[in-house]
Amino acid sequence: MGHTYLDCLAVLGIGGAHPGGLKLTKEILSGEALDQSKSVLEIGCGTGQTSAYIAEHYGCHVVALDNSNIMLDKAKQRFATINSAVETIHGNVERLPFADDSFDFILSESVLSFTDIALSISECQRLLKQGGKLLMIEIVHEQPLSEKEEMKIKDFYGFSQLLSENGWVRLLRQGGFEQVSVEKHAIIFDEHDLKHATEFSPSENVSHEYFNILKEHEYLSNFYKDNLGYRIFRCSS
Amino acid sequence: MSVEHYHKLCNQYMGRAVRIRTHDGRVHHGIIRHVDRRRVYLEPIRSNRNLGGFGYGYYGYGYGFGFGIALGAIAGIALASLFFW
Repeated sequence: MGHTYLDCLAVLGIGGAHPGGLKLTKEILSGEALDQSKSVLEIGCGTGQTSAYIAEHYGCHVVALDNSNIMLDKAKQRFATINSAVETIHGNVERLPFADDSFDFILSESVLSFTDIALSISECQRLLKQGGKLLMIEIVHEQPLSEKEEMKIKDFYGFSQLLSENGWVRLLRQGGFEQVSVEKHAIIFDEHDLKHATEFSPSENVSHEYFNILKEHEYLSNFYKDNLGYRIFRCSS
Repeated sequence: MSVEHYHKLCNQYMGRAVRIRTHDGRVHHGIIRHVDRRRVYLEPIRSNRNLGGFGYGYYGYGYGFGFGIALGAIAGIALASLFFW
């Protein structure tokens, strides 16, 4: 089995593996009308940090989907420790196993870049109820990269495409999301913010290779810190 | 995760802030200052935030690296200022 970046996140059980972590997630959600009457699908739920937070904090009906069984197992362990129910489903974002008009909100925290973006967007559009919203945090390139650099980043992370902000908006519009609001946040590290520290829920046997992937990731994201950023997209039809 | 893996992880994140939960239910906050085969040594962080128990007084300060936590006692670990896509 090849050792990929996503395998590394799964095996080490990185919680909140997206820009801004759980802290940004909380900020984004606080701007939305979430309550007990709302149904939420989190695609690419990982270890389930966000889904657990939504279920506990807002009382929504939450469905958490991931294509990694390792991640889903860790998510299930987490959900078993909270007082709210979260449904878990194994599946692919490009072909989501739900009927049309199923959800009020779909949340994607650095997920679509790892999938066929256009397909995933149209799936999300299909699943959202009328008036529903797709909330995303996704990587963007701030300045064009050379073809070689772009390939290097895409290969390492397993991104299907590395888009600019405009590139995302274009694909979202093509996929049927006519209203797209975009927010830009800086990448800020609070060295001592342990309340929002990144959780590890590692598997029993972790190959050394995954620690090297972690190192390579830190090197790459630091090297390209001026070229790579992220945006928050709030999208509706 | 094994002692060996916590050893590797702590080594990789030397100098970074960490929150460690041990099997006895305690939570420790500090900067990783040293790791040996059996223990990780943290320099405690003072914080205005209400983060729970700091474990002061339970570990000696004679190590020169802050207080030591047996790697085998670690139940969970969280690291500050990590970034993922």
